[in-house]
Amino acid sequence: MDFEFTDDQLSLRDAVARWVDKGFSFERRHGIAKKGGHTRDVYGELAELGLTGLAVHESHGGMAFGAIEAMVVMEELGRGLVNAPYAAGALVAPSVLAQAPAALQSAWLPRIAAGEALVVLAHQERASRYRFAQVATTAKRAGNGWQLSGHKSVVPAADEADAFIVPARTGGAGDDPKGIALFLVEAGAKGSHVQGYATQDGGRAGELKLADTPAALIQEDGFATLENAIDVGIAATCAEGVGVMDKLVALTVEYMNTRKQFGATLATFQALRHRIADVKMQLELGRSMSYFASLKLGEPAAARRRALSQAKVQLGNSMRFVGQQCTQLHGGIGVTDEYIGSHYFKRLTMLEMAFGDTMHHVGEVSARMTDTTGVFA
Amino acid sequence: MDLNFTADELAFRQEVRQWVADNLPKDISHKVHHALRLSRDDMQRWAKILGKKGWLASGWPKQFGGPGWTAVQKHLFEEECARAGSPRIVPFGPVMVAPVIMAFGSPEQQTRFLPGIASGEVWWSQGYSEPGAGSDLASLKTRAERRGDKYIVNGQKAWTTLGQFGEWIFCLVRTSNEGKPQTGISFLLIDMKSPGVTVRPIVMLDGEPEVNEVFFDNVEVPAENLIGEENKGWTYAKHLLAHERTNIADVNRAKREIERLKRIAKAESVYDDARFRDQIALLEVDIVALEMLVLRVLSAEKSGKQSLDIAGLLKIKGSEIQQRYSELMMLAAGPFTQPYVREAMEAGWQGDWFARFGDCAPLAGNYFNFRKTTIYGGSNEVQRNIVAQTVLG
Repeated sequence: MDFEFTDDQLSLRDAVARWVDKGFSFERRHGIAKKGGHTRDVYGELAELGLTGLAVHESHGGMAFGAIEAMVVMEELGRGLVNAPYAAGALVAPSVLAQAPAALQSAWLPRIAAGEALVVLAHQERASRYRFAQVATTAKRAGNGWQLSGHKSVVPAADEADAFIVPARTGGAGDDPKGIALFLVEAGAKGSHVQGYATQDGGRAGELKLADTPAALIQEDGFATLENAIDVGIAATCAEGVGVMDKLVALTVEYMNTRKQFGATLATFQALRHRIADVKMQLELGRSMSYFASLKLGEPAAARRRALSQAKVQLGNSMRFVGQQCTQLHGGIGVTDEYIGSHYFKRLTMLEMAFGDTMHHVGEVSARMTDTTGVFA
Repeated sequence: MDLNFTADELAFRQEVRQWVADNLPKDISHKVHHALRLSRDDMQRWAKILGKKGWLASGWPKQFGGPGWTAVQKHLFEEECARAGSPRIVPFGPVMVAPVIMAFGSPEQQTRFLPGIASGEVWWSQGYSEPGAGSDLASLKTRAERRGDKYIVNGQKAWTTLGQFGEWIFCLVRTSNEGKPQTGISFLLIDMKSPGVTVRPIVMLDGEPEVNEVFFDNVEVPAENLIGEENKGWTYAKHLLAHERTNIADVNRAKREIERLKRIAKAESVYDDARFRDQIALLEVDIVALEMLVLRVLSAEKSGKQSLDIAGLLKIKGSEIQQRYSELMMLAAGPFTQPYVREAMEAGWQGDWFARFGDCAPLAGNYFNFRKTTIYGGSNEVQRNIVAQTVLG
């Protein structure tokens, strides 16, 4: 039982933090967001740091680092409010492609590791909400290959991606986990159509429509792999949330110690002091459960799914509380577009809804409840 | 980063688990698992069993007769005790006054007092709060005047938990009115059998006399019972607070009690009610998060690299969790917690209607009783002041 970071992990953290300090100012981010949230250049800079190869196996040119390294990077990207689709491209996609046939792996993983290719998971559908077994997109055999038809929604960086990982039905219906296969669809493939848009939190996403679009099969019985990918996404979301909260709390503390009203700094008023104590509570519970999420990623599926849902409940509550309260503690400046804090709040808000919101995961924890409770239960 | 305990730690846990299974009397664990009334004898019987093994002084270093366990071992020990349904160790002797005697007492005081604490023979009480000094403890007024080789003590202590059983009491007393209130306080050990000491129980809202008022009327205390120097008592008391870190959260007991909550919810047919189950789920997340926080503190202590200054958070969250599980247990049983039959809190009591009410008898009382958890040990509002101080500087 040890929650210390290794020297290598600390160096990794430092490298990301230094890049943020030097190369990713709030002005730059704000400019990107105002122009629609295109971040492929930013993603390229993360690739130059070697970060896009973090989760890719060494045989494909990656570093084969583990969940804790991913967590460290996500915390720092959160702290810097980096709006590039790092988790989607460098963590979630490789976790799925590791299950692909060898030829497909060789075709894509080295390019992902190098940052040349951005591949993202396109799993959400308008009718599925957070129930990702609810898949209406269909797959049918066509000659030696497959063709997909359907509509995937709010796909990260959709109009900047080079390919999509698409869950589609080869059988079953509704929310049956059986019959869900995973495919790779290249951007611009015949019959595909992408409509990009800016997101509330300064990034980019889009709709992906497929009509008899050719696709490469990643895995035929793919639901377990999809579940695992969602959990990788949850752990990344939790870690990013910790970084975002850390920075927002630091901004708020600084503000409370400088802003004066009634002739005294905000930090002298007990009502506000108690509020920041409650914020600190949510931050530390959140950090604890983010560690928990990453440490549990390697567990067998049942324990992993339960743990990741528990973590997402805590982080969802923490992110909402910290975001709302830190905004309140800033007063009027906190609700302006020019102030950096409001952008942290918006990111926290969207992170709560990524990969299942708090209410959804409370339901998951309920459904997966056993007689015992605890970190090792 | 690694979530798992080492092989040595796991072996240690197994050893403790086996020993507790072999030595914890079944009649006592039955009462704990069903939240029935524990007698003085129950509590002291278990304390003496632990004392004989050398484990009552679980946090003590070897030089004073403790097992010299690491923080992790101590946590595992507490986890196993809680899991098996052992009564909480009455902390005033082994956990609260002993570290002060070890750090600031004379060799004579250490020889005289520590063995009786470690063995569980002597029941200690805590004399801190007063009617006029609660959260603002430094405003305490109980006076101790030096006359020759004695102190003459006059005043009143309040909220003395289980003081009706106490044989000795460690008190913060005022020995000077000069300077800041904190600088005129001394740390005095008082024999509760001394003439002039009167203990009066206070019946709490659950109907139980858990705490007491302790009156001192010209009580003569030998000067040799003063710990350290006169007027330095506040410093010593603060040392005691710093000494208590992770077990204030009581997460191990919470893990046991949420299992009881699930049993009660099943028995009362609300476990499959989604609205109720979701409330258990939220509590479950709280408990896992608190346990992770506790493990982080232990890890930081083990590495010695950094200390996590979050004792206040542990107290706030731990106490809120205690209140929540007691609340949900009561809500699960609903109207069947309404009958107030004091005898039903005794093990083995058989009312002719009682069987149909299962484990409901203690639930409302426990809920009422647990309102104390956010008040005692430094109210949660005081804890928030402390947390805010560390955050805002």
